[in-house]
Amino acid sequence: MSQFIIRRVLYSVVTLVILSATIFLIVRLTGDPVALMTEASARPEDLERIRHQWGLDRSWPVQYVTFMQNALTGELGKSFNYRMPVSELYFQRLPNSLTLGLAATLISLLIGIPAGIISAVKVNSAWDNVAKGVALLGLSIPGFWLGLVLILTFSVWLRWLPTSGAGDWRHVVMPALALGWYFAASMLRLTRSSMLEVLGSEYIKLARLKGLPDFVVIAMHAFKNALIPVFTLAGVNMVVMVNAAVIIEVIFAWPGIGRLLYEGIFQRDFPLVQGVVVMAGFMIVGINLFVDILYAFIDPRIRLSR
Amino acid sequence: MATIPANTRLVSQRTASGRLGAVVKAAREAPLMAVVILGGLIVVALLADLIAPYDPTVPVKGAEMFVPPFWMDGGSLATPLGTDFQGRDILSRLIYGARVSLIVGLMGTLVAGGLGTGLGILSGYIGGWVDQIIMRVTDAWLALPAIVFAIFLAAMVGPSMWNIIVILGLVYWTRYARVIRGEVLSLRERDFVKLAEIAGASKLRVIRKHILPNVLNTATVLASLTVGVVIIAEASLSFLGVGVPPPQPAWGLMLSEARPTLMAGQWWLTVFPGFCILLIVLATQLFGDWLRVRLDPQTRNL
Amino acid sequence: MQRPRFEAYSVFTLIAAALVLVAIASTAIPFAAPAGAAAKGKLTLAWHAGLASRWLDPQEHDGTATPDNFFTAIHDALIKNQGTQLYDHPALAEKFSVANDAKSATFTLRRGIKFHNGDPVTPQDVKFSYENYRGAKADVFKKKTDRIEIVDDRTVRFVFKEPFLDFAILFGTANVAAPGWVVPEKYYKQVGPDAFKQKPIGAGPYKLVRHEPGVRLEMEAFDGYYRPVNVKQLVMISVPEAATRVAMLERGEADIVYNVPGELITKVGKLPGVTLAPVLSGSFFIEFPGFQDPKNPFHDKRVREAVSLAVDRRAMNQAETAGMGKATGNWINNDVQYAIEWPEFPRNVDKAKQLLREAGYPNGFDVDWVTPLPTFYSRGERLIAQLREVGIRGRLQTMERGIFLQRLQGGLREFPGTQIILHGVRIAGSWSFWYEGYFKCGGFSSRDRICVKDLDGKFDQYERSINPAERKKLAEEIQRGILENYYLVPVFRHAFVNAIGPRVALQKWEDVFPTITTGYAYPWEDIKVKD
Repeated sequence: MSQFIIRRVLYSVVTLVILSATIFLIVRLTGDPVALMTEASARPEDLERIRHQWGLDRSWPVQYVTFMQNALTGELGKSFNYRMPVSELYFQRLPNSLTLGLAATLISLLIGIPAGIISAVKVNSAWDNVAKGVALLGLSIPGFWLGLVLILTFSVWLRWLPTSGAGDWRHVVMPALALGWYFAASMLRLTRSSMLEVLGSEYIKLARLKGLPDFVVIAMHAFKNALIPVFTLAGVNMVVMVNAAVIIEVIFAWPGIGRLLYEGIFQRDFPLVQGVVVMAGFMIVGINLFVDILYAFIDPRIRLSR
Repeated sequence: MATIPANTRLVSQRTASGRLGAVVKAAREAPLMAVVILGGLIVVALLADLIAPYDPTVPVKGAEMFVPPFWMDGGSLATPLGTDFQGRDILSRLIYGARVSLIVGLMGTLVAGGLGTGLGILSGYIGGWVDQIIMRVTDAWLALPAIVFAIFLAAMVGPSMWNIIVILGLVYWTRYARVIRGEVLSLRERDFVKLAEIAGASKLRVIRKHILPNVLNTATVLASLTVGVVIIAEASLSFLGVGVPPPQPAWGLMLSEARPTLMAGQWWLTVFPGFCILLIVLATQLFGDWLRVRLDPQTRNL
Repeated sequence: MQRPRFEAYSVFTLIAAALVLVAIASTAIPFAAPAGAAAKGKLTLAWHAGLASRWLDPQEHDGTATPDNFFTAIHDALIKNQGTQLYDHPALAEKFSVANDAKSATFTLRRGIKFHNGDPVTPQDVKFSYENYRGAKADVFKKKTDRIEIVDDRTVRFVFKEPFLDFAILFGTANVAAPGWVVPEKYYKQVGPDAFKQKPIGAGPYKLVRHEPGVRLEMEAFDGYYRPVNVKQLVMISVPEAATRVAMLERGEADIVYNVPGELITKVGKLPGVTLAPVLSGSFFIEFPGFQDPKNPFHDKRVREAVSLAVDRRAMNQAETAGMGKATGNWINNDVQYAIEWPEFPRNVDKAKQLLREAGYPNGFDVDWVTPLPTFYSRGERLIAQLREVGIRGRLQTMERGIFLQRLQGGLREFPGTQIILHGVRIAGSWSFWYEGYFKCGGFSSRDRICVKDLDGKFDQYERSINPAERKKLAEEIQRGILENYYLVPVFRHAFVNAIGPRVALQKWEDVFPTITTGYAYPWEDIKVKD
């Protein structure tokens, strides 16, 4: 077992190194931050001064080594624009992104699971198509458009909800809906197929034979078992959401990580972009590692595989 | 020795006429609405030059900007669906936009699928350190946000429709790699593959004749589900400022450009392109769902 | 979200008299009652871009016209641009004077001025702020300053090595440089520059209460300020999406909203209780990269003039800013020193075609790329449509803002062939900054794309001269040279359209946006909200 863990940890480290080198390179190839930080009548001395201040006049290998050295001690660099450690910024924003991700996941479950159940129970009927349609709608509408329409409807016209920003639950509803609907489709599919499998299983056939009404059969037996893979997927999606909610965060002025990254990219704030991507990678790789090890515990066959 | 599920058709055992018959049978069972929509859009895209009333990139001579659709006050049949901020005809832009959306959707999926399937096969079949490297790169890739990529590529090569296709392909290949690798891993253990290996076939030959054809089913299903995602992604890239460059008409770009007008009441600028996107994505998703169930029961849980 | 730079560049002036040599006797502003007692209410500003913490530190002013929106609330300066005064409004200094030979400048601080932490503002702080200044134009100040004398407990004298004619402009314009914005020496040294940007302390009307980096700033009226502050709570929120900002305005979640996009101007103007504030902002003008090359069609002056005749400035203005901008004129805004007035360029499609025929292009010609300042692509599209009418056919080239700036830096090799660039920029202070940045050979933006030798030669003369009359004459000659030869073709002056909500008390929009050198709503202490 320990060999397995060590191997997996090693893989994770390699992945992170690849990731950090890639983002380091990419970010530097996207342009010169110094030009963005000065004004139109700047002179070469101004540019040089800033460049030196930020250590951008050193060669790339030197910069990379410094970056990695600092990363090992947990210090992911200091943002050009915010002048504070990137890790501090990241953890300041993380709870907001997690909140949004959680709420969006809940919404995706709230839409996807009932739709999936209806679809499975009334398989191939009109209801099936309606349920599929509702879930698929989330996949077919770009998030930014949905977000703006929600703001227009619920905030400007109906005046029920605030337009933007973070705050109490009322602030989360619209961004969570705009973000979560997209993932409802995959929830629906999974629920539907799980339900179909379970519904066709021996166990359920027996329950039906016993004379239990359909409703009870579904609620008590099929539902429970069908949901395990659904929740696993929800967990995976949530990680994706936290990192991919950029557009929703910009529309709703939500103070999350996606927006931090977005603004950092357009400002060419190298340390910020590098730091956020590495932190995000850390999170993803970390969660994958955890899940891998967990599954290995549960299923011995996995331990022995490559 | 693993048992082969009863309804798996090993590609190496199919005959030509059998295949044709299967296609015809399949076509009759396909979801009607999806096929009609997709077919219609393809026709529109192909015949754009003939059916579109105006050049989509040029303001209509004599027309104002923000003309509403013809059935509303101030609308005119000359520009039946209205005009945009530049005075261009919305209908023409929608028609030509079908081309862009279809090309971006299909080609982007092809690039992603090709790259992902290729890497997945290599990873799964060759194994060893090649597999490890590819898997680690896949993991790292997933953590890389698409926008960083998109801006990077735009910086290197400039924005254009073809660059968008490459960008989208590079963003979505990871979906394929993982799944295909899994398929290949199980295919490797099958009798017919092992037989070919024992008979001395080179790795390349085995891949070409045995692995690839069997993997194509899964890849096709994945592709049909990805097309819609790619089309939406085009809209997202436009929002971020690195999408298909104006004045080329693309539905996602039209939607993104018209964002402010949502608040000003010129609903036609967003509803029409939004509706088109909805149609094509819905159609591809329904089609993909149907394909999935038909082609490969193993991917039912995707 | 890109932050549009130019509309933040403020300069908005009438006539710039011979400034530097005039000793201005300022009247002492009567002491008002401490602000805190009267301050009430809350004002929320929806800011249209990101919120960089480094903008809260005037010591590292980047020279763009963005930070001034923020540090004018928290900090204060000896003299600054306020209202119709371009740079010489006395603030922390109750009076100042510049020597006749321009080799020194003397400032007298007000009595009883304090920083937010209660410490008094002393000449020592002024000296520190000047010497420690590391922002835009810092090298200019350092090079020309000999020493700083603390004359007494309220008076500071800056002594220069040579006549420093531009001192007051550079010193007092908040969107050019900021060595005159006084920071507390003790506190600054104690916490260091980075922590200072998270928790700045200044002598301005508002003190920072809460700072969420990149998200919002919450400020409260400083009751030790020497002027009355009307609104107690000032909140600035970063809302990059224009549609959302307008929604906030409609919902009453924001009282002032910056940068209403062209498509929404009319609708926002009609909202009940909302007043539009169309501040004249940056200038849009056309550059012909590499026109010195004889093979380039724009080498011929007639072709350039044809372009100018083809551009429909009024239509551009009407479509893009609902007519609230201004068809120009000079490509240099008229609110900087020595900028000349120039009549609006006429539009004449027939004459344009005739000139093209004479120049040898009876059927027009193709332009490889027309590149507008990102993200103002719609202007580029309109320009292309207008040029097409006379036979000049171009394609739009779009790119992300960072990439655009980088390519400008790359000079001619990034713009090969026949190209047009539609620039948009706002620069404050002096006409020479415009020339330096956008025309001079080697300039930050112009690089090697223009390089008109004789004009550059005159500009060197201008820079070396210490005679204001001579300088003014040279300035006018150079600008005339550019405009008469159509080396640059001005298009129009953009309007940075803001919106003021019903809770703000005003009679006209200029009450909330009185400072003509900027597009922002300072001085913040003067804004009032209704009960």
